[in-house]
Amino acid sequence: MILLIQTLILGIALGGVYALMGSGLSLIFGVMRIVNLAHPSLIMIGAYVAYWPFRLSNIEPMFMLPVAAIILACIGAILYRFVFEREARSAKYSEMTVLLTFALAMVVEGMLGTAFTNTQRITSPNYATEAFFLADIFIPKGQLYASIISIIIISALALFLKYSRLGYAIRATTENREAAELLGVNVNRVGLISFAIGLALAGAAGALVSFIFSFFPSKHWEWIVILMSLVVLGGMGSILGTVIGAFLLSAVAALVGTYFGATWSTLTFFIALFVVLLVRPQGLFGEKPELA
Amino acid sequence: MAELATDEILAARERYNQSITIAINKKRSLWFPYLVLALLLVLPALQLIGNFNYVIHLTLFTACYVVMATGWNILGGFTGYISLGHNVFFAIGGYFAGMIFARLDISTIIMAPLAGLVAAIIGYCIGLVTLRVRGPSFIISSLALVMIFRIVFENWEFIGGAAGLALPVNDLPVQWAKLPYYYAFIVMAAIAVWVSYKIKHSKFGLGLRAISKDEIKAESSGINTRLYKVLAFAVSAFFVGMAGAVWGEYLTYIRPNIFLIILISVNMVLMCVLGGKGTIAGPVIGAILIIAFNELFVATLGASEINVLATGLIMMLTLIFFPLGIVGTLAKHGKLPQFLNWD
Repeated sequence: MILLIQTLILGIALGGVYALMGSGLSLIFGVMRIVNLAHPSLIMIGAYVAYWPFRLSNIEPMFMLPVAAIILACIGAILYRFVFEREARSAKYSEMTVLLTFALAMVVEGMLGTAFTNTQRITSPNYATEAFFLADIFIPKGQLYASIISIIIISALALFLKYSRLGYAIRATTENREAAELLGVNVNRVGLISFAIGLALAGAAGALVSFIFSFFPSKHWEWIVILMSLVVLGGMGSILGTVIGAFLLSAVAALVGTYFGATWSTLTFFIALFVVLLVRPQGLFGEKPELA
Repeated sequence: MAELATDEILAARERYNQSITIAINKKRSLWFPYLVLALLLVLPALQLIGNFNYVIHLTLFTACYVVMATGWNILGGFTGYISLGHNVFFAIGGYFAGMIFARLDISTIIMAPLAGLVAAIIGYCIGLVTLRVRGPSFIISSLALVMIFRIVFENWEFIGGAAGLALPVNDLPVQWAKLPYYYAFIVMAAIAVWVSYKIKHSKFGLGLRAISKDEIKAESSGINTRLYKVLAFAVSAFFVGMAGAVWGEYLTYIRPNIFLIILISVNMVLMCVLGGKGTIAGPVIGAILIIAFNELFVATLGASEINVLATGLIMMLTLIFFPLGIVGTLAKHGKLPQFLNWD
């Protein structure tokens, strides 16, 4: 029983981080219909932005979170301007962008690998190895903090989308691009901004990931399938769905890890992705089959 | 009277079709692939006057990728279903033939067609499931497939797990050791290109191309799209599996991280995209160019990470500036040299 509760708590503590990693992917798909396969490799950039200051002068990784977010947002704006904007006219837009982001992921992986080699890295602030104890159950501080910060960021994003004018525009574009354009929304600018926000979320996630998972440039192939599984389960484009999908899957993966062995824990995500795509491509909360 | 008119119209149409065929045939040069094949078949004679093992290896490697890219093209180019997980069949072929070679000592070259068949059957089953979704969904599901197979292969002790299996080395003198594999790959490449030509010029190929243009319209004009797609998947898995079978013996060991790395499936996609998806010559040209690039990067720069970077960059630039690939872009502007027009 204690083992069960412990496992669930560990899974849920990771869920918040997965949710932040996935939310940018979901936002970008919602607004732009781009399946951003390069998202995890960009998260990796955020992780390196947090890693080097920590390694060289012991700067707290969480302080680097806004820096990583800003750097990634700039990268996002540049990428959108020079790569994705011109693809909007292409006939096979969605397939085209999948291939493009796939190539982009390789470019980022190659750059990071050339610059920093494929060594496993992790930042290790004090709290990363400490834990709170409640009777027999422990809650690792690092994962708990990271999850809390993730939830705060996602809530801020949700409030922004719900109440600001720009948020209205973004949601309108998500719902119906043509109609939004007819009503005077500058769809292109909204695309640029939401792409930048999406990548800023990736940067923030990267800073948090840096003290939770060990990372190396080619690890993003594993992450992409994990992230896609959460996002697809929750329904592509729905941030709330992504958060729920993240908590659900990371709890299930933790259970599988405890009862069947750690190797099979990641397999949970892969099989979940496969099954969801085939049984219910629109995800738990999607209304129409977005991806089909 | 009406009867006669119909006959005349039919005859006239026949003549017209023939004249079109002749006109198209004039723009084509089918002798060129045969010439290349003949040259490649006598290439090993170089070994008599010196050591050209490196040339042989490169040609063999290119031929291996020609088989795979041409196989991929049957699904990805004709049907438009882009699979990033075709190295799964490369691994299935490699492991099936490799295991038989290790246990029963039957050469993988003999077993290659059977290995291809196994890959095709598994591909047919996977295709029945994954081809129900379209576009990005299909691409992502193919990526998930690689990850699943990677974990399964790495943890399956019977086939060697993550450490893999060592295969016996053949006992030919060094000078001739590569030749069996060389001829196997050249013959497979020739068969693959020939089959893809035949498919493109059949009713089946026409159906596949209709699916890539507009699947719903194809379905409503009476094509059994589901069967067509799954068959295309199986045929492409067949060739990739065959290449994998011989590749395992050539390397003398099989291991998940030789077959199931993303770079292999990327290369297949990139060769087709660069050369021109859906054309016959495209994958061949793409394979030659990409292998040349790879050799250049590895030889001059050494690092495999730079290789990844360069592969990604080439893919991005091709997709942005020449989405139709070399053959497609040239053909669109009417500048395709005759010897590259194999369609």
